[in-house]
Amino acid sequence: MRWRSKRLLFLLPGFAGVMLFYLLPFLEVVRRSFLKSGNSAFVGIDNYRAVLENGAFVLAVRNTFLYMAVGVPLLMGISLILSLLLRNLLMRRRLVSAMLLPMAVPAAVMVLTLQILIDRQGVINGMLTKISEQITALPAFEAIDYLNTEWALFVVVCSFLWKNTGYMVILWLAGLAALPKEVEEAAQVDGANRWQNWHYIIRPGLSGSFFTIGMLSVLQIFKSYREVWMVAGSYPQAHIYFLQHLLQNWYLKLEFDRMAALTVIMSLVLLIVCLFLQKKLG
Amino acid sequence: MKKKGRIMLYIMICAMCAAFWGCGDQEEEIPMGRYADREVELPPGTFEYMHPCPDGSYYLYGMDTELTYVDAQGESKGKDRSWESNANIHVKYAVGVSDEGASVFAYTPRFWNDEEMEALWIAGDIRYLYYYVDEKGQKQALEPHGEGYEKATNLNTFAFSPEGELYAASDHAVYRVNVGNGEVESLFATGEQVKSIVFGGDVMLAADDGKAYFYDRAEGKLLGGSSVLDEFLSSHSTGGLVLAVSDKDMQGNVMPDSSKNDGDGGADAPADSEGGGASGAGMGDDGGNAQILYMACRTGLYRYIWGGSVIEQIADGQMTALGDTQRSPRAMQALDNGAFRVLFDGNYMVEMYYDETLPARPAKELTVYSLEENGWIRYAGQLFQKEHPDVLVRYETGMDGDNAVSREDALKNLNTRLLAGEAPDVIVMDRMDIEQYADKGVLRELDGILQPYLDDGILYRNIVEGMRMTEKNKIYSVPMMVYLPLWLGEKTYLEGEDSLEDIIAGMEKARQKHPEGAILYTLYPKDVLLQTMPVCLPAWTSKDGSLDVEKLTAYYQAVRKMWEIDSAGFDDAGREAWQKNNMEWYEPEDMDMVDIGFNFQYAAQQNFGETWLQLGFLMTPQVGMTGIHVNKANMAADWQEKELEDVVTFDAYTGQADNVYWARTIVGLCEQGKEPELAEEYMNLLLSDPMMRKWWLDKPRNRSGLTIRKDSLDDILDIDNIEFGQTMGFKDPTGINRPNFWPTEEEKQWLYQMMEDASCCYRPGTMLEECATKVGVRVLAGELTPEEGAKEVERKMAIEMEE
Repeated sequence: MRWRSKRLLFLLPGFAGVMLFYLLPFLEVVRRSFLKSGNSAFVGIDNYRAVLENGAFVLAVRNTFLYMAVGVPLLMGISLILSLLLRNLLMRRRLVSAMLLPMAVPAAVMVLTLQILIDRQGVINGMLTKISEQITALPAFEAIDYLNTEWALFVVVCSFLWKNTGYMVILWLAGLAALPKEVEEAAQVDGANRWQNWHYIIRPGLSGSFFTIGMLSVLQIFKSYREVWMVAGSYPQAHIYFLQHLLQNWYLKLEFDRMAALTVIMSLVLLIVCLFLQKKLG
Repeated sequence: MKKKGRIMLYIMICAMCAAFWGCGDQEEEIPMGRYADREVELPPGTFEYMHPCPDGSYYLYGMDTELTYVDAQGESKGKDRSWESNANIHVKYAVGVSDEGASVFAYTPRFWNDEEMEALWIAGDIRYLYYYVDEKGQKQALEPHGEGYEKATNLNTFAFSPEGELYAASDHAVYRVNVGNGEVESLFATGEQVKSIVFGGDVMLAADDGKAYFYDRAEGKLLGGSSVLDEFLSSHSTGGLVLAVSDKDMQGNVMPDSSKNDGDGGADAPADSEGGGASGAGMGDDGGNAQILYMACRTGLYRYIWGGSVIEQIADGQMTALGDTQRSPRAMQALDNGAFRVLFDGNYMVEMYYDETLPARPAKELTVYSLEENGWIRYAGQLFQKEHPDVLVRYETGMDGDNAVSREDALKNLNTRLLAGEAPDVIVMDRMDIEQYADKGVLRELDGILQPYLDDGILYRNIVEGMRMTEKNKIYSVPMMVYLPLWLGEKTYLEGEDSLEDIIAGMEKARQKHPEGAILYTLYPKDVLLQTMPVCLPAWTSKDGSLDVEKLTAYYQAVRKMWEIDSAGFDDAGREAWQKNNMEWYEPEDMDMVDIGFNFQYAAQQNFGETWLQLGFLMTPQVGMTGIHVNKANMAADWQEKELEDVVTFDAYTGQADNVYWARTIVGLCEQGKEPELAEEYMNLLLSDPMMRKWWLDKPRNRSGLTIRKDSLDDILDIDNIEFGQTMGFKDPTGINRPNFWPTEEEKQWLYQMMEDASCCYRPGTMLEECATKVGVRVLAGELTPEEGAKEVERKMAIEMEE
């Protein structure tokens, strides 16, 4: 048997699993996106049109992309800076372990903590009120209901960063560890400064990690929906109404046809983003 | 090599195909034979206890009914002990009867004649008194005493052994009692109150809610337990579990004791080897036959061979009377022919017999789904099954009490089923979005089924029409019961048109007269919303579904005012104390609209004298109406102003919407259901008079509602149709419990008129309600102004509308 055939043979069980549990169901979703739920009548691209014309969809897309546009670069940037700072520290391992703690915190506990902090009568408002009372020069502080005002997205981004930074630091550190030290040492001998070291050696060396960490960050954005839902419910403040809210609510409302169309649209967009990132960073 | 590779490939494909083989539907032959049941006619009286005798005869006893002997042929004979049944003399708590008819009772006198004894009883130094009646009917006081036995011990469970020895159990031990002199011998300690004691040969089995104790009476020692039996008791005791011992199997054949032959100890492997296991000596009877423990509970009938390690289900509760959630089994008798007699509470007895002509499970299945447990619907399933022995009614609940499934998760699960084409046949639509399900073609239109009922004037047309979907002009679901809004208080407070403004005016008047304490029965801001929202919410949405922000703002202004008036009677410490005092039976975290209505009848009665106006719902025709009278009387008594009985009154209140009714047990049929004809029959059963009259079955808390069938409502309000014991004692012939508060003819007519006028449907659990409640709490807490609150709701609802 040729090596190529052997490889195919080994791939077969995995491929069969992917076919059965991912591709075939996805094809079914594609099929349903052209049918009306209930009587299964063929409606062409009506479902896609209904989704694209839906006000809630437009709001959810705008919020999701805004969240992504703010959250992903911040997460990648902060975690990269931290990993560069930690890289040569002796206590690196302990610090990294500590940074992983937020990932181990159950969602319910995290939500409770968040509520204690950001409630109208919560810790943050209490502290700010006390500060404004102490420093008379400051204007009187009025308690803010963070989750029901424009501050909501800020709160969600902060909790997202708090939860995921540690994990991303580990990934960056793994990428940094894979860089050959000899090249950096040779550059230092040749008189390269820190910026040149970063720009000409580290950054190009981390290009593979950029792609992986970028993709994982995007996926974490979608996964953070659970906490948002737990803290603000199915219909949160308009700034934190994301695509997952829309999908969940449509599922409860039996809008299976629109859900199928939205899933296909989201998959295509993610595929395009993925290919773009791969081309630029991979 | 290439050929080998191909062969490998084919083998793997075949293996995958084999793995998925059998996933589809396959025809299978249903085996024959299962347990069926038939009702046993009981002698006159109300019986709560049965003592089975080995010859198939049995004794029946009720706390207010004399001991009655029924022979194996079913002939009953009174034991001429009418003095035992005098309810005015004794309050009885427990009874034990021997095979020969001797009996023992735990009781307290209804009226203490002995002051010294009464003082001891009040101090808790004695709990119950006891007397023993021998088989000839000679009564004597029984005064338990002995080493380690305290007078305050509560003997709650009695059992006579086949030899006539009396055994008794308290909440921490099992005793042997000498009926001659009252001497008590403590046999062994238990973790909880033992509920059942049965005998198999020399071994006595005492069972509490989590452990079975095997006691060798000959050797006088406790044998090892059975972990499998303990586990079973832990998981099956809720709702009643009864035991019986026999050496016969289902066909009435004697079970040989394998332990006598092979010395292995028990029919199967020993259950638990710790302490020698339950399979020790004496597990079989003297003739060398194995003892079988039969256990009956709501999930079915089970058998356990003493010393074995397996508990086997021999009858499914859902297919027999055992599954009736409205009745709990009280006692069981195993008969020689393999049949069983089971006595339930509610004076009901069945004989369960093995019928070889019936298929092991019915060929047809009708699936009924509801988000939450509904006793009335479950009962209807059992009734339907009785009428159709070839049909299994499978009642499924999305959020049963044992798991923590949220409403949203339950709906997702249901929607997944619908998507997979596995729709139930009947859906109870309470707390579900009926419009959505009808729009998506899940629900079947009911106009055809309902039309004959409407044409003949059997149902309240206005209530049924209130469910008509305006867009499609069709009815997709129908409530079986409704609640009507009601307010109660002093006449001067209830003057006006009964709108929100009138309620506020009434509260202000009450506040002037009573500057301290609560006016309404509200502990938390949410309570004001719960009591007023049902009569306002239907007015907030226009026909196109848009939100009327002005009305919502007016509502928030009104409830805020109400909360302010109510709060003015308390300082912070006072409010906290008021909340604390009421927490015992009022759990705000679990409160929903139902409980507020419930409070109106029951819980609030405790607080008259502390509250001056009540908003709530009339939930049941009989208890609700009589409850009003009780409330009025309590108000007058608690206020120490007897004349108030004449000035206290009640009326409907409207809020912002007119003629509101709260729809309960809303039933729809599924378009994709597998048994559409059976579903239609089931719907007809629900709408039938006998089913509608089963209102009292939803006990102990009666939440069924006012029936939408006119004749049933009329029947329920007819005092002659009510048996004592089913009405909280309102028709107590002795006149001791309560005076007769039956509604007058005028009040009945008032109720019928309210039913005729009700046309605006309120259904709890909508998105708007959830949102308005959350925001409303913040408005009442002062975090938002009413205008800001209404805008907040509008913003959230805008997203929902856009979706």
